[in-house]
Amino acid sequence: MTGSHSIVPDTDAAPKCPFHSPESVFEGSTPLVPSEALGALRDEAAAVPFLYSDAHQGWLVTRHSLGRAVLEDPRFSMYPRRMPLGPSGGHPLDIDDRAIHSVHDADLLSLDEPQHGKLRRTVLGRFSVRAVRGYQEAVQEIVRSQLVHLLEVGSPADLAAEFAQPISARTHCFVLGVPDDQVQKFISLFVDKSTSQQKWDFVREVIELRRDNLGDDVISDLLGSELTPTEIEGVLFVLMVSGRDSVAYMITTGTHILLSHPDQAALLRDDPALIQAAIEEFMRYGTMFVTLFPRTALEDVELENVLIRKGETVSVSPVAANRDERRFEDPDVFDVTRDSFGHLAFGHGQHGCVGQQLARLEIRTALGAILAEIPSLSLIEAEQSRPLPWASDLPTYEAGSLVVEWNAA
Amino acid sequence: MQITVNTPACVGAGQCVMAAGELFDQDDDGIVMLLEDSPDAAQQAGARRAASLCPARAIKIAE
Repeated sequence: MTGSHSIVPDTDAAPKCPFHSPESVFEGSTPLVPSEALGALRDEAAAVPFLYSDAHQGWLVTRHSLGRAVLEDPRFSMYPRRMPLGPSGGHPLDIDDRAIHSVHDADLLSLDEPQHGKLRRTVLGRFSVRAVRGYQEAVQEIVRSQLVHLLEVGSPADLAAEFAQPISARTHCFVLGVPDDQVQKFISLFVDKSTSQQKWDFVREVIELRRDNLGDDVISDLLGSELTPTEIEGVLFVLMVSGRDSVAYMITTGTHILLSHPDQAALLRDDPALIQAAIEEFMRYGTMFVTLFPRTALEDVELENVLIRKGETVSVSPVAANRDERRFEDPDVFDVTRDSFGHLAFGHGQHGCVGQQLARLEIRTALGAILAEIPSLSLIEAEQSRPLPWASDLPTYEAGSLVVEWNAA
Repeated sequence: MQITVNTPACVGAGQCVMAAGELFDQDDDGIVMLLEDSPDAAQQAGARRAASLCPARAIKIAE
């Protein structure tokens, strides 16, 4: 197909754009204070017509109940995935043929069942509640050493760069099975900037290093599975690029929330056991995903009196759903004693975050250490207090720097 | 109360273990294991909560 996409019928019959654009809905949104427009749309309807930035029309789901229903309904497909909300409208294919093959076979974020489930099941055992309990000591040690590092850097410091990012990167490497001497390279490629091809090359190098030295880790499990080499590379690529930045985001944002709510921080300090359940409230209140990956209806679907026609695109907004007063009383209040389970911050359904138990452990351990070890911590400046560009092609919040100070002991 | 689990549907999120660890666990592959299919009165709220949180609707409860 050729031709311009800008031809718009110039007649009175053309609708006066009842559709809401990403700019109009999300403008001004920040992690602690979602845009007012998003709240207004949630009051208007459970799903509102949405005009994606590539000009196709679909739905933005704003309420919790419908969001949950869409995410667990197999009549919605992850493929073909649209990422029309990003700044650039797509990337050049700057990866080799083998990587393209891996994306096609094993991109967990754009596959449906049964292929998606087949791939997911090869790694599930490493992320169960029980498996994650086994990582507790290692994560505590990583958090402890990064706390020492932060204190050595000295007040004031950027907690995002000196504490949150390294904790998530080092834990990611530990669980995946990236050898210790490759961790710095992982950070330079996946935390700092690099090309897609450099990331794919690293995935293949690490797999080769592990092949001769199998261990108790995700890569070793993948190598022992029935998956093809390109599937193994594809799954590992997804796991390497997913979850790491979102954990760092949540440790940063969680600290920002703590420093902005001293009464709630005091509750957690007085009763450290509270943090186990309170992590859900941090996730709910500081949700990173303004929308999840869009889904496409495979047939006409009617849910909660909303008719989504076959072929239409649907984007669920966890940020909106987690502030839905129909599900959470006084949703704009951060309250560590509330029951926040059931939030959609990890997504939901078959494509819900596979590493969510590990994420909980990391965030809980990191925030617990901050509360216990640096009681004098206070905020100088949170970059995320003002709107920042999205962190990815999806509308997701960027953690930004978090400059903090404390009294040296 | 009678609990049944649909293991092929399980997506291994672990919500049930968090909600009611005395009734549910995950096996070495991360898939749900039912530890007790007839919970006593004190465990029934946890069972309902696990069923309601399950992202795969893999837990069914007959009262």
